[in-house]
Amino acid sequence: MRIVKLLLVDDEARFVETLSKRLTARGFDVQGALSGPQALDLLRERPFDVVLLDVWMPGMDGLEVLKEIRRLHPSVRVVLVSGNASITAAVEGIRLGATDYLLKPVEIDDVLAKVEEAFEKKRLEEDAADRSG
Amino acid sequence: MKEIRASNLWRSDGPPDVRRAVWASVAPPLMFVVLVVLLTAGATSSSRGRMATLMVVACAASVAAAAWVSVRLVQQLRAVVRQRDAFYQEFARLSKLASLGEAACSIAHDLNNPLAIMNEEAGWLQDLLNSTDTHADVMRREFAASVEQVQIQIGRCREIARRMLTWTRNPEEPSGQVDINTLLTKTLYLVETELVATGVRVLKQLEPGLPLVMGSAAELRQVLLHLMKNALDAMKGTGGTLTITTVRAGDAVRASIADSGPGIQPDVVARIFEPFFTTKGEEQGTGLGLTISLWIVQRIGGRIDVESTPGSGSAFHVTLPTAQPGDRPAHNGGTG
Repeated sequence: MRIVKLLLVDDEARFVETLSKRLTARGFDVQGALSGPQALDLLRERPFDVVLLDVWMPGMDGLEVLKEIRRLHPSVRVVLVSGNASITAAVEGIRLGATDYLLKPVEIDDVLAKVEEAFEKKRLEEDAADRSG
Repeated sequence: MKEIRASNLWRSDGPPDVRRAVWASVAPPLMFVVLVVLLTAGATSSSRGRMATLMVVACAASVAAAAWVSVRLVQQLRAVVRQRDAFYQEFARLSKLASLGEAACSIAHDLNNPLAIMNEEAGWLQDLLNSTDTHADVMRREFAASVEQVQIQIGRCREIARRMLTWTRNPEEPSGQVDINTLLTKTLYLVETELVATGVRVLKQLEPGLPLVMGSAAELRQVLLHLMKNALDAMKGTGGTLTITTVRAGDAVRASIADSGPGIQPDVVARIFEPFFTTKGEEQGTGLGLTISLWIVQRIGGRIDVESTPGSGSAFHVTLPTAQPGDRPAHNGGTG
């Protein structure tokens, strides 16, 4: 089975660091970014399967980053992570093309389930594209 | 019982009984004049002397009566101003509580960030405990780093709790010295939810090294928050830019809050600070926000000016006198 390439985007450095360690220990290929522009740079440099994206970030906020990812890398799946229990941003995110969303603080099992589900969707899409192509 | 008196004063079910109030002021002196004139007329014997005395007495009595009426009217006016001030104070307090409710959203977000980190640290410690192949020294280092993080994040939570307490504190703070740039930055933070939701950009042009201004941080924050919310309302559904500027203006500091909305019509600008004047409809606006903002600012010797060009946005300039070095340093913006 292919290793899931995961990009974790959050302005909280320690959150990125520790969650990365935990996800790496669970067999994911994880890279972290501390801002939207940094995430977009990394996406240009190398392929990712799933992006775990914080909604509230200073500067370029998560929804703007999401729009850019959808525009530039439509095959990459995005799971939003929100520190705010407000459902509005989540609904807006799904409308803009996010696959799913998580509420902070996140439970590792929820993260695993949503990331794997997002990865599965991406894989099925790629298979379908391969068959038709 | 302040609220009940205040609401009676402004009840919309009819104007105050002006006729009765005027009659109550005028009747006693009028009766006094008539009585004095009648008594004088009765007491004087010659008809020419009676006429002259009558006129002198009537004039003197009228002057005395007019003075009495003036004193009564001034007293009544003072009472009305006192009631109005009490009402505005109470309204400002209630508005602050309402903003607290709205701020709860950004507070929740702020709390969730340290909680999320502590959650990951606890999870990581659990992962380490479950692992069998981690070296003892690595384990020890990881444990120490995680515990330190938990302590750091608890510190953040404590800071958020402290900030919330500042927010709910009694508005009766003494006039102090406020750092307007810090206060603006912290106030912006209270509309962060709306900024994200509306996609409005913020442009901050804060002049560094400004002198401190007069006033209470809590009250000034109320004014700035109200102006920011108005600006965001003006740009609802269109995005746009919220521009926050501070500059030194002679002996004062001017903080401007500008939107890129549709602007305000001149006839609305002319009435914008009138009590109960609102363009927002009964559900959304009380028509008192700007009235009370102006009242707060004028009480400390400041002013609010409106500048608006229909089609290209509006700006509210709040000019605040700078605090003198001798003023009591109290609640600066940093406590907000």
